[in-house]
Amino acid sequence: MAQRNSSRRRQSNSENFMDYSLLFIVLFLLGFGLVMVYSTSSYEANLDYNNAAYYLKKQLFATILGLIAMLVVANIPYHFWERFAVIGYLVSVVLILLIIPFGHESHGAKRWLYIGPISLQPAEVAKLCMILFLASMICTMGKQIRYRKGFWMVLLVPMPIALMLWKITQNMSSAIIVVGIAVLMLFVSCPDYKRFILLGLAAVAGAAAVVFVIVQMAASQVDSLDFRGARILAWLDPEAYASGKGFQTIQALYAIGSGGVLGKGLGASMQKLGFLPEAQNDMIFSIICEELGLFGGFAVIIMFIMLIWRFMVIANNAPDLFGALLVVGVLGHIAIQVILNIAVVTNTIPNTGISLPFISYGGSSVMFLLIEIGLVLSVARGIRLKDL
Amino acid sequence: MMDEMPYQHKTYHRSKTVVVMFLCLIVFGILMGRLVYLMVFRSEYYTMKAKELHERERSIKAARGRIIDAGGKVLADNKTVCTISVIHSQITDAEAVIAMLCKELGLSEEYVRKRVEKYSSIEKIKSNVDKSVGDAIRAYDLAGVKVDEDYKRYYPYDSLGSKVLGFTGGDNQGIIGLEVIYEEYLQGEAGTILTVTDAKGVEVAEAGEERVEPVGGQDLYISMDMNIQSYATQLALQTMETKEADSVSILVMNPQNGEIYAMVNVPEFNLNDPYTLPDTVDGDNVSEEKKQELLNGMWRNGCINDTYEPGSTFKIITAAAGLESGAVKPTDTFNCPGFIMVEDRKIRCHKVGGHGAEDFVQGTMNSCNPVFITVGLRIGVERYYSYFKQFGLLDRTGIDLPGEAGTIMHNVDNIGPVELATISFGQSFQITPIQLAVTASSIINGGRRITPHFGVRVADNDGSNSQVFSYPVRDHVVSEETSETMRYILEQVVAEGSGKNGAVEGYRVGGKTATSQTLPRGSGRYIASFLGFAPADDPQVLAVAIINNPQGTYYGGQIAAPVVRQLFENILPYLEKMDYNKT
Repeated sequence: MAQRNSSRRRQSNSENFMDYSLLFIVLFLLGFGLVMVYSTSSYEANLDYNNAAYYLKKQLFATILGLIAMLVVANIPYHFWERFAVIGYLVSVVLILLIIPFGHESHGAKRWLYIGPISLQPAEVAKLCMILFLASMICTMGKQIRYRKGFWMVLLVPMPIALMLWKITQNMSSAIIVVGIAVLMLFVSCPDYKRFILLGLAAVAGAAAVVFVIVQMAASQVDSLDFRGARILAWLDPEAYASGKGFQTIQALYAIGSGGVLGKGLGASMQKLGFLPEAQNDMIFSIICEELGLFGGFAVIIMFIMLIWRFMVIANNAPDLFGALLVVGVLGHIAIQVILNIAVVTNTIPNTGISLPFISYGGSSVMFLLIEIGLVLSVARGIRLKDL
Repeated sequence: MMDEMPYQHKTYHRSKTVVVMFLCLIVFGILMGRLVYLMVFRSEYYTMKAKELHERERSIKAARGRIIDAGGKVLADNKTVCTISVIHSQITDAEAVIAMLCKELGLSEEYVRKRVEKYSSIEKIKSNVDKSVGDAIRAYDLAGVKVDEDYKRYYPYDSLGSKVLGFTGGDNQGIIGLEVIYEEYLQGEAGTILTVTDAKGVEVAEAGEERVEPVGGQDLYISMDMNIQSYATQLALQTMETKEADSVSILVMNPQNGEIYAMVNVPEFNLNDPYTLPDTVDGDNVSEEKKQELLNGMWRNGCINDTYEPGSTFKIITAAAGLESGAVKPTDTFNCPGFIMVEDRKIRCHKVGGHGAEDFVQGTMNSCNPVFITVGLRIGVERYYSYFKQFGLLDRTGIDLPGEAGTIMHNVDNIGPVELATISFGQSFQITPIQLAVTASSIINGGRRITPHFGVRVADNDGSNSQVFSYPVRDHVVSEETSETMRYILEQVVAEGSGKNGAVEGYRVGGKTATSQTLPRGSGRYIASFLGFAPADDPQVLAVAIINNPQGTYYGGQIAAPVVRQLFENILPYLEKMDYNKT
């Protein structure tokens, strides 16, 4: 009742906040993304489809749809979605399970569902639904979250989804993002630090142990190294695996390294001419570095930092915890994805397929990202200017 | 709860969100550091690696150095030929390209269409196309058609001196002859075109190309004289035909310095078409191996690669050894009853009735075997063998042609009186014709063992950077006195003896004939030969003619000596004129 009163009051208040800075940053990234998608894909698109703008057109279409969806979501009070939290979680589970019989395979992994002409990655849906579900759950839990039971509840809830994403869709990066979103939302909603430091140390130790074991296994000539084991070896010495697992990484490093400080100029990338396959996808950042140089790479990172900064400002001024947590969830999603992508492209971490938000080619990804931005804008509209 | 929430929200939620922000900033900072490392400190390395990956190297053949004869005539040259290719991705009007290529190259439409429509980066249509045709195709200026110029070795005189000059292979490398020996001077340095390509190898036009120009090979100037060589070739061919011989070799050289003016081995082969066997040989229905064997046989240079029993021409060496050792003097008298007993063996003279009483000069003029056997036995095995060594007969001559055969000689321990006797008149061992010519040269030129050669000098295409070759000369092989005596005796051989068919009016010619039966004895196969030089008192030219398996008359004095005479009749005035011009 109190909520409804307050929202009516906000609606009548003409001083409601519209975060134009956020909108501008997103639009800039989208526009820049389209330019880079065209730059990276036109040569190959011309060869394969006889149409240089093949990928650009598809991406532009998805972006427009996404922008419409964003505007719609931004104009719906975000509390409207709270009632769908549990259903969203279940829908994610069902969609991922549908992959098993109906999944569409591409690039050696079954990750897509085709519904009529639309292709959909359940992983994208799952990330959005997870943000919604956790925000709702943490709000309902209240003080419970300070206790051990509540803490572990929040950590365990995303695990089934993460495991399904990892095992069913062979998509470890999405699984990491789902878990990462949960950890960040838990971190923000829980006053404790100690547990998180321990958790972080445990994760670092675990990762180090995995790397150590794989290197030892490789040294002792054990042939049972699987797909991911080879990936880690290729990460440590990409040139030794140049024709196999290290191929993409090597090509990305050639692109980045040959860009130098000032880059070769927009459109002048050599690596996109088939050397770096499907440069418009996950490895697009390396072509940005090749064409626009260190400055271009820094500019993109700075744009994402500004985006995260806007998220932080909105989260910290959100009218309630639910809104704040939604924004923190989106922040976590985008921040983790950007960091993982750039880390992969620069071979800072082992290679795992992950796209660069707003910039990489991929319709389903950009649409769901824009829906998330719509949610954030909706939360931002709840801020009264006098509170700022 | 509603009262509590704003409070919480304003305290630790806020601060924790700020912590998240800062954590992100730290991670982004690390990634930016990584970018700085990759794009500033490792940039040079990755730029180099990427360049290696993007650039395709095409080599540009260097023009091979020419081979030029003593008179400045070009014996081996380069011809510009074109390679016609199509680049699928650049073709705009496929039909026009197909029609044009069919017309200009005379190819079937089916053949051309298949290649033009094939999806590949670059497809070769035809290579070794004449430059005029290449220019015509270029004039059409059709997109996607590429005309690459290239050099091909070209021999203006086809088969002239084929076994000496040699030819080159597909990569312009020498296969046989002088082309092999002087490879390092002739080949030049290939240039490169660096082009930037995409991953499929298609050139990226905007990127342009980097060229490293080829450096042409140096021209080789040789002592062969095209006029002498071609006249000798005519003579050899004529002789081979009239005598129905298997092959005829003529070697003409300067006995003073080892320069070779001509080296003919008929049948020769066409240097511009070296892989076609002559019509008389069936090269179609044989295995690859057999065909290669036949080709190798066709390319063999008999003057150098093959050995034979020299027969009586070798008496020059025996005489020189006898005179040098003091075992015989020109005035020593001998008696030839038509045979001589060596141990229990009766060795016959070619004149059944015997030559009767004769001195050493007459014995040489008669080419009398008993005389030379006697001289050989007087010298003795040890001394004879040491002269053999001193004359250089046991080593190769060191001629600048590949595959020189060595001397096949008895081991010194196995030479008994009978062997020594047969060696004395040139049988039971084998040497190459060039070995005979060089050894005879050193005996008549005052005792200087010269190195036979063709290569005189190399120079750049414009004549600069000339580098003159020098060849080893070994002095005092025989004394000047012995040399003079030998010149006198050999002049007598031609003037009044067995070599009188080699005499040339108006010139003093020295020489020695030979007729040797080839192994196995009794096969009826002979080698007739004659070694002549002129002028006899100061030899400027020495010639050897060898007729292999002539039909009918097979005596060297009757069939080989006239060949050298005809040769001398023509080249002696010519050489005098040449000398006149030089001074």
